[in-house]
Amino acid sequence: MPPTPEEEALPQLDALGPRGPYRARNRLTVTDVSGAPVAQLSLVPGVFLHRALTALRRAEPPAPDHRAAVLARAAELFTTGRLGGLTVAEHEHLVSRVGGVPLAVVRTATRAIGERLAAAYDSARRARPVDARDDWRDPLTRAGRAVWTRRGEVFAVNAAGNHPGTHSLWPEALALGFRVAVRPSRREPFTPYRLITALREAGLGPDQVAFLPTGHELADELLRGADLGMVYGGDDAVRRHRSDPAVLTQGPGRSKILVTADVDWREHLDTIVDSVSHHGGTGCVNATAVLVEGDPAPLCAALAERLGALPALAPEDDKAVLPVQPVATARAFGTHLANRAAGTRAWLGAEGVVAELGDGSAALRPAVHQADRPDAAQLGVELPFPCVWVAPWTPEAGTAVLRDSLVVTALTRREELIDRLLDEPTIGNVYVGDTPTYRIAPGLPHDGFLGDFLMRTKAVIRT
Amino acid sequence: MTLDIAETDRILEPPHGTRPDPDAFVQAAMAWHFDPDTGSPFWLKRATAFDFDPRRDIRTHADLARFPNVAAELRHVPAADLVPRGYGDRPDVIGVYESGGTTGAPKRVVLLRDWLERTLHWSNEALDAYGFPRGADWLGLVPGGPHIVGEYFQRSVATHGRYGFRVDLDPRWVKRAIAQGRGPEAGAYAEHVIDQAAEVLRTQDIGVMTITPPLLERLARRDELVDLVNDKVRAIRWGGTQMDADSRHLYRTEVFPDTVLSGNYGSTMILGFAGERPGLPDDEPCVFDTLDPWVTFGVVDPDTGLPVPYGERGRVVAHHVSKSFLLPNNLERDLATRVSPPEGGIGDSVADIAPVGVFENETVIEGVY
Repeated sequence: MPPTPEEEALPQLDALGPRGPYRARNRLTVTDVSGAPVAQLSLVPGVFLHRALTALRRAEPPAPDHRAAVLARAAELFTTGRLGGLTVAEHEHLVSRVGGVPLAVVRTATRAIGERLAAAYDSARRARPVDARDDWRDPLTRAGRAVWTRRGEVFAVNAAGNHPGTHSLWPEALALGFRVAVRPSRREPFTPYRLITALREAGLGPDQVAFLPTGHELADELLRGADLGMVYGGDDAVRRHRSDPAVLTQGPGRSKILVTADVDWREHLDTIVDSVSHHGGTGCVNATAVLVEGDPAPLCAALAERLGALPALAPEDDKAVLPVQPVATARAFGTHLANRAAGTRAWLGAEGVVAELGDGSAALRPAVHQADRPDAAQLGVELPFPCVWVAPWTPEAGTAVLRDSLVVTALTRREELIDRLLDEPTIGNVYVGDTPTYRIAPGLPHDGFLGDFLMRTKAVIRT
Repeated sequence: MTLDIAETDRILEPPHGTRPDPDAFVQAAMAWHFDPDTGSPFWLKRATAFDFDPRRDIRTHADLARFPNVAAELRHVPAADLVPRGYGDRPDVIGVYESGGTTGAPKRVVLLRDWLERTLHWSNEALDAYGFPRGADWLGLVPGGPHIVGEYFQRSVATHGRYGFRVDLDPRWVKRAIAQGRGPEAGAYAEHVIDQAAEVLRTQDIGVMTITPPLLERLARRDELVDLVNDKVRAIRWGGTQMDADSRHLYRTEVFPDTVLSGNYGSTMILGFAGERPGLPDDEPCVFDTLDPWVTFGVVDPDTGLPVPYGERGRVVAHHVSKSFLLPNNLERDLATRVSPPEGGIGDSVADIAPVGVFENETVIEGVY
C-alpha cells in the first residue's frame, strides 16, 4: 500500500545497501511506547537483500590497519556526531521513547558502544589462539605455523531490540575482515542505523556493512544467504537454529546469582539488586534467579523493599530506571507472569507489575517471587524487566540447578564449587565475589569470544 | 423459445479485437448456457435450484452478482458435464486443467479451442504493445501440467515466438514441502529448477522468458544468470504469484534495466489471466486489465459483496462468461486495490494483489529479545 501523506511526513529510516541509501515503498511505521508514530522504516524485498549479500561477498575488506582506524573514528562519530540528522541527545531520546529503555541506560549504552567500537579491533583479536599468526607472511610460517583465518566472508546479524548494547558485539566481525549485513529489530532500528551510518561516514565502504530491514519472512533468508550468522531470540529461535553450525544463537541469558552460607548476602545486597534491575532489567545479563543457601525469605524481603521503591517514570525521564512498554504489551507480561508464578510466594507479585503512565504506555515494575526448591521451573522464566526468582540452595542441589546460565555470580568462598561452575559447559561466564552479573568489558568474552565462532586456524608451511 | 445460433455467435464470438455491447453479451451468453439444447449439463442441472431465471433476469453485467458461487463444485463435477451441448458430440477440447489446489482439492476446467484462440490473440497483441520481440526463442519456467499456464506458454511460443524451451516445475510439491515445514527441501527444488534454466540460458538464444517472481528472485541471486539475461533476454513475462512494487521497481531499473518486464495475474478459474497495463511508469503500482466482457473482475467487500470505492482494497471476485465456459461470481482468495478499467471497459482492473490471510505474529513473551 502506498504510504499516506502523514506517513510520508515522518522521518524516514532508509535501508543502507551496497549502493547507498534505499527507500522502499514497503515501509513499517515505528511507534514509541505510547503508540505514537515516530518514523518510517523501509523494508527491503528479497531481491534487494540477496543482491546486497552478493555485493558484500564480492567486496574486499580493507587492510587491518584501516579497519582499526575506521572503527575508532566511527566510535567518535557514534558518540558525539550528528548522524542522519540527529545529535546524540536526540538519538538517545528517540531510542528511549521507542524501546522503552530508561534514558540513563541508553546514555550508558552509547558510551559502552563507543568504547567497544574503539576497542573492537583489539578485543576481536583476543580470541586468537596464542600460537596462531594473523598473516601467512609472518616469518614464523616458514617453519610451519597456524594462521588465523575467516570462516567466511559475509556475516549476517538478525539483531535484537531489547537493549542498544547488543550492537556492541557485531562490529568485531568487521574488525576481523568480515562484511556484515544487519537486519535490525523493527522495534528499535535506530541504534544499528546510527552505528552503520557512523561506520560509513568514518570511511567504511557501503559494500562492507549494510542495514537491511526486512519483514519477518526474510529473516531466515538473510542467514541462509550469508556465510555465517548470528540470531538473537527466545527459546524457539535458539531451538530452530541450534543445529546449524553456521548460525550463532544468542538466546535467553537466565543469569543467576548463588549465595552460599559462608557469605552474608546483606553485604552484597547492592550487587544483587543491581544485577536484577540495572539496564532496567532488559538484558540477558540481568539476574533472573538468586539461589541462596538457607532461608530465602529475608533476602526476598530486602529485595522487595529495594526494588519496590523504584519509581515508575516515562523512559525519557532522567530519573527513569524501569522499562516502559505499550500498555497492552505490559499487561500481557503481567498476565504471563501471573500464570508462570503459580505455586510461588509473591513478594512483589504480578498484580503490581503494570504501572500505567497515562499516555498509552506503562512502566514495568519489579517482581520478586520466592520458590520453594532450587530446581523450580520458574527460575528459567526470564522477562524483560526486573523480575527475579529467589530459591533455597543446598550443596546437594549442586551446580545442576545453575545450568543454562549466561552469567553466574558466585558469592562464595568454596573453591571446589567455583571449579564446578567453570567446568559446567552450559554456564557462560563465572564471576566470583562482588561483581554484578551485567559486568561486561571490552576484551572479555560475553558468550564466548565472537572470534571463536567467526575464525579458524589453518596450518601454513612455506618451503 | 428457439435460440438464434448465428446471432448468439455474432455477439459471443465477434471478430478478434472487437468488443460486443456488454448487456447484449450477457443476454446472449445466458440464452446459450441455459438453453436445454446448447447449455452444459452442469449448468442446466444447477439452474433448476435457482430462485431466478437466468434467461429472463440476468440482463446486465451487474446482474451476474445474482449467481451463486459454484466454483467449489468444480472439484468433483465430471469435466465433460462442463462443456456446453451446443458444441455437439465432438467439441474441440484442447485439454482439462486444474487450479493450484492451494485451498483444498483442485478445481477442474475444460479449455475449448475458440476461447484459447481468442485469449491468445489478445495476449499476443499485449506482447506486441510491450515490445516483446516476435519470432524469438522462449524459455519457460512453468508447470507442464495440470495447470493451464504450460499450455498457454507453448501456444504463445507457437504463435508469437519460435522455439519454446521449458523447465517443468511442480508448485504443488513446493507448497506441500513448505506446509510440512520442509522449507530447505523446497529451496533445493527451486535451485534445481534454476540449474536447469541456467543450462538453457547458457546454450540457447533465448529472447523471452516466462517465470514466477520467486524463481526470478532466485535467478537474480546468481550474477552469471543476471548477465546472461541482460545479454540475451529482451522481455520477461512473470506470473503465478505476486510481485511486490519494490521488487518490480528494482528489476526494471537496476537488475534488468534494458529488459521488458510484463506481469500476468492468472487464474485457472478464469481460463487465463489478466495482463499488466502497458506503459505504466516504474513508480506506479502494477495494474492488471482483463479481456472484457469475457473475463471481468470486481473488487468487493467480502462481507456485503458490494464494490469498494476506487482506490480501496477488497476481495477479488472474478467472472468468466464465454461461449465455451461460464463461471460468474467466483470469490478469489486474493485482495486487491480497485482501479478503473481502461477506457470503454467494464468491470474493474486490479492492483497490489496480495493473498488474504497473511499476518505475522511475533509475540514472544519469554526471553528478553
